[in-house]
Amino acid sequence: MSDTGVQLKDVKKSFSVVDVIRGVDMEIKRGQFAVFVGPSGCGKSTLLRMIAGLEDTSAGKILIGDRDVTDVDPADRGVAMVFQSYALYPHLSVFENMAFSLRLAKRPKAEVKEKVHEAAQVLQLTEQLDKKPAQLSGGQRQRVAIGRAIVRAPEVFLFDEPLSNLDAELRVQMRLELARLHLKLGATMIYVTHDQVEAMTLADVIFVLQGGYVQQSGAPLDLYEDPSNRFVAGFIGSPSMNFFNATVVARADGRLTARLDGQPDQSFDIAMTTALEPGTPVTLGIRPEHLVVSEGEGMRVTVDVAEELGGVSYQHGTLEGGEAVIFQQIGARHGMHGTVQTILPQTDRIFVFSREGDRIR
Amino acid sequence: MSTAKRRRRELRNAALMVGPFVLILLIFFLYPTYKVIALSFTDAPLIGEGEWIGLANYAKLLNDKLFYTSIWNNFYFVLLTVIPTTVIALLIALAVSKLKGRMQALILTLFFLPYVLPVSVVTLIWAWMLDFQFGILQPLIEAVTGKSVPVFKNPHWVMPMIAVVTIWWTNGFNVLLMIAGLRNIPTDLYEAAALDGATAWQRFWRVTWPLLWPVTALVLTLQLILQLKLFDQVYLLSKGGPFNSSYVVLMQMYREAFQLNNGGYASAIAMVLFLIIVIVSVLQFQLLRIGGRRK
Repeated sequence: MSDTGVQLKDVKKSFSVVDVIRGVDMEIKRGQFAVFVGPSGCGKSTLLRMIAGLEDTSAGKILIGDRDVTDVDPADRGVAMVFQSYALYPHLSVFENMAFSLRLAKRPKAEVKEKVHEAAQVLQLTEQLDKKPAQLSGGQRQRVAIGRAIVRAPEVFLFDEPLSNLDAELRVQMRLELARLHLKLGATMIYVTHDQVEAMTLADVIFVLQGGYVQQSGAPLDLYEDPSNRFVAGFIGSPSMNFFNATVVARADGRLTARLDGQPDQSFDIAMTTALEPGTPVTLGIRPEHLVVSEGEGMRVTVDVAEELGGVSYQHGTLEGGEAVIFQQIGARHGMHGTVQTILPQTDRIFVFSREGDRIR
Repeated sequence: MSTAKRRRRELRNAALMVGPFVLILLIFFLYPTYKVIALSFTDAPLIGEGEWIGLANYAKLLNDKLFYTSIWNNFYFVLLTVIPTTVIALLIALAVSKLKGRMQALILTLFFLPYVLPVSVVTLIWAWMLDFQFGILQPLIEAVTGKSVPVFKNPHWVMPMIAVVTIWWTNGFNVLLMIAGLRNIPTDLYEAAALDGATAWQRFWRVTWPLLWPVTALVLTLQLILQLKLFDQVYLLSKGGPFNSSYVVLMQMYREAFQLNNGGYASAIAMVLFLIIVIVSVLQFQLLRIGGRRK
């Protein structure tokens, strides 16, 4: 048995004339927690539904374990799915909801009871087994949906934005529970979300999708520290990265100097392996947490809004050239509203992108 | 403005809006209802006052053989229509809901079309189609039975044929209710069931059927009430014949009231039918609800 959990080979999907998935290759190892993340309409849910078998695959191959399941019925793929709407059967009790697949398979009563109670124990649902879904809270319904998946003991768990119908507090709690559940079960899990915080906190491996392609995949911190294009750089990290147009003015051995278009008296010295000709337009990306207020020279930002979270504050403002800037500060009550602040980036934390959005290293 | 004043104004507005309806209800519904109840205890003709005779009309009814024939025919007709039309509507709704977009709208319209026809036109069409001599359906009947049948003049054929006509006529509405019910079932549930390993039949039996049950129960109850009130089709197609084999309670009431001028007796018949409909439909609805809860 190989250690492949799920593998996609040049998978494509089109709805009549619209191409939704334009060629996706990926490999998820057995037992990994993979997260598909991207803005709405990027095809992440479609891709998940293709793995589940709820959508046909237009081209390419889908493998689960060593089996090619591209044309296999959803029920025979060894996957279980947790839907955003939970998709609980409203006319059945919690017990029957969780026992549904076993009942269909005509398993012996004792086995059904044992498996359902086991799953209910894991999810702390033992008290709720006789209730109908309508009598449960959102978080409990979510757990029943997960329980229904656990009972089937699938090779792969699929989650389609499972937490987006929960309130913020419950979402954080369920996120932790999911992470613990993954550790306990050790099964391969694929999780779709548009929330990059969920992606960062849960994933062993993140796949950032946009426009029907995987933009980049890797461990959460790898994507954060080394994004391969402007889209990924902007999507991963919260608040998102600042982008400034700049022009290369000089280059030296392994370094280049770029001048901000919006504030021509400010330029940065950046370590680069690619040699860019002076005059090349580039985009500089700097994360809010890597901008520091300085006393001397720097980028002059007029602060208009402060988001104060207590532990940290996000100062929103604009450069002289009109470009929006966010920078992070520790603590609160800085009283920067309406003032002009001078900030400087940590120069080893500046990312350079071509104007087309590709990363230049 | 004070609370009391505002409340008074709200009350006035409410009274103004409800008033016309209450007035019409009183004049055209409650008063006639009261009159029917009152009439049923008298020997009054259709027009004019009668003498109070207590329960004599009801006593007479209990000894009226034709009344028992009529009741029997009513329930026979209910048996022939209510469950068949519900099953047919469900099957059509399931098939139509598989279609998409305009095609679905088109087919749905086709099934609904007979429902917009007035009963006189419906019966005329079917009387022609089933005509003993030149009806276009007679060859079909001949193929099955070996000879032409004057269906509305044959005691065995008349009720089933009226049932067929009625189902054809009213089925579209039931299909519409069923489609609405089917659309209310989220597709997620079918997807979840498919992932759980349910076959098409299991998906129907374990998801569609229980979730559609409230609509099915509604259709069954509406149909029961509607079909117990059977009159027009019988009156227009067979006049209750042959040999009273299609005589129904409302036919008898009509004859007593408007042909024999026995207003009091006809009122008593109407009251009894009313009671039967109330009892049977309440009973059925309760039974269906219990059945639904057990699922």
